[in-house]
Amino acid sequence: MKVEIKDLSYVYPSQDCALRGVSLVMEGTTPVAIVGQNGAGKTTLVKHLNGLLRPTSGQVLIDGVDINTHTTAQWSRKVGYVFQNPDDQLFLESVRKEFEFGPKHMGMRKEEIGERVEYVSNLVGLADQLDTHPFDLTSTQKRFCTIGIIMMMNPDLILFDEPTCGQDAQGIRRLRKIIQELRNQGKLCITISHDMRFVAENFKRIIVMKKGEAILDDDIEKVFARTETLKQCFITPPPITRVAQGADLKKTPFTGKAFMEAFEEERERRICQM
Amino acid sequence: MEMSNDFVPKNTIIEKMNPNTKLLAIISLGISTLIFPNPALGLGVLIFLFVVSCIAKIQKTFLKVVLGFGIPITVMLLFIQGLYSPKNKTIIADLGFAQMGLEGVLYALKIVVTLLVFLGAFLLMNKTTHISNLVAALTDLGLPNKAGYLVLATLNVVPQMQKRMSVIRQSQEARGVETQGGLFNRIKAYIPLLGPVILSSLIDMQERGMTLETRGFGINGVRRTTYVKATRSPMDKPLNVILILFLLIVLILTLLMKFGIL
Repeated sequence: MKVEIKDLSYVYPSQDCALRGVSLVMEGTTPVAIVGQNGAGKTTLVKHLNGLLRPTSGQVLIDGVDINTHTTAQWSRKVGYVFQNPDDQLFLESVRKEFEFGPKHMGMRKEEIGERVEYVSNLVGLADQLDTHPFDLTSTQKRFCTIGIIMMMNPDLILFDEPTCGQDAQGIRRLRKIIQELRNQGKLCITISHDMRFVAENFKRIIVMKKGEAILDDDIEKVFARTETLKQCFITPPPITRVAQGADLKKTPFTGKAFMEAFEEERERRICQM
Repeated sequence: MEMSNDFVPKNTIIEKMNPNTKLLAIISLGISTLIFPNPALGLGVLIFLFVVSCIAKIQKTFLKVVLGFGIPITVMLLFIQGLYSPKNKTIIADLGFAQMGLEGVLYALKIVVTLLVFLGAFLLMNKTTHISNLVAALTDLGLPNKAGYLVLATLNVVPQMQKRMSVIRQSQEARGVETQGGLFNRIKAYIPLLGPVILSSLIDMQERGMTLETRGFGINGVRRTTYVKATRSPMDKPLNVILILFLLIVLILTLLMKFGIL
């Protein structure tokens, strides 16, 4: 899967310029996180990847095919988009029917649908709720239900819009498992998130957006080392990272363990200097 | 034709006027045109409204709506009333298959200008007034709070529903539901839209009810303060007097003409 965005600009009908010449390439299976302040253009950018919005100028290519050549519904086989609000995407009377809807539309074989329902429902933790009405699920379960319905269609690229919103620790762990599973299957996963801890724990590559531009696009260590630029974008690295930066450690750790290692290294270095 | 309230601030003097003045203008100008026996007055009022729309910087929308509605209806009414009105006595043109009568033409023109005056005045008020401002002004006039809220909620519900519909449509497209294309596709695409729209508006309603309760909407016998203050301008008072005088003068003129004094 290869996503190419070339000098993409988008102006909303209300004349608000949401994207100003964004150029990005996302390739392979390394999950990508998009972060930035509200109104930075994250959702607008991602909505271009399945044709919900069409470029005002510039180009979006999915595996070399221009986004404008197909409708969103046609793209949905290849690009799955999980919306921010699950209530907008669910409309059938049971979780099972929701799961089966997309693949049936695509003409997937019955046996395959059955297999996928089992696999996906286990992955998103709804195996026991298959006959429940989606509106009787809790809000976190609903979110996993929408993730499930998109995964059922087996797209090569999955877009998550704020998946951590309202999730507890267990939900975050499950999301992590889903992102790893997608990677193992050779899918590309692009996630919008405000939760820097979640981003730090699950993503290698970070794109930082500010006022319609992608101002940083790099490995997570390098991005979180750019404290000045991040401050301008109102992004704060995870607490442990900030402690490390405050202590002037050379490395940029994201977990307690990595912090301890970096700390030990630094101590040894300083002892040697003395 | 866009008649829902999509107020865009343009910072003009028309915007700063009290909404009640604009309401009075609709009533005064509309009724004057309605009662006055010939279309000349209405035409004058229309020109005046156009000038006002220029001051409010919405002349484009104004012309679009007034002409877009006015031209077809004028043609239709001229055809019906002009050619076939039973009042026709003075023949002004002979089209071969029918004759055009002066009385019918005048009657048709009068209906058209009356409609257009109401439409145009209402449009002007709508485009230059935020709904909350209008409701605040109506509450100042003595409209009960609850009725005010009802007006506000009703006027707000349509754009809100439209917004929701478009979000839901996008979510469904992302699930592979084809919403574009032929008629059949469109009808089929409506079914997955209806569920979330209806359910979410029911949930919204419940939540709104609870919110209103927690904010003391149901408490009786207390004086309320309001966050939104109706806009006022020094022009309001003189304009109100002029508008009322205008209506009275037109009324007297009409009566005099009816009794054949003028």
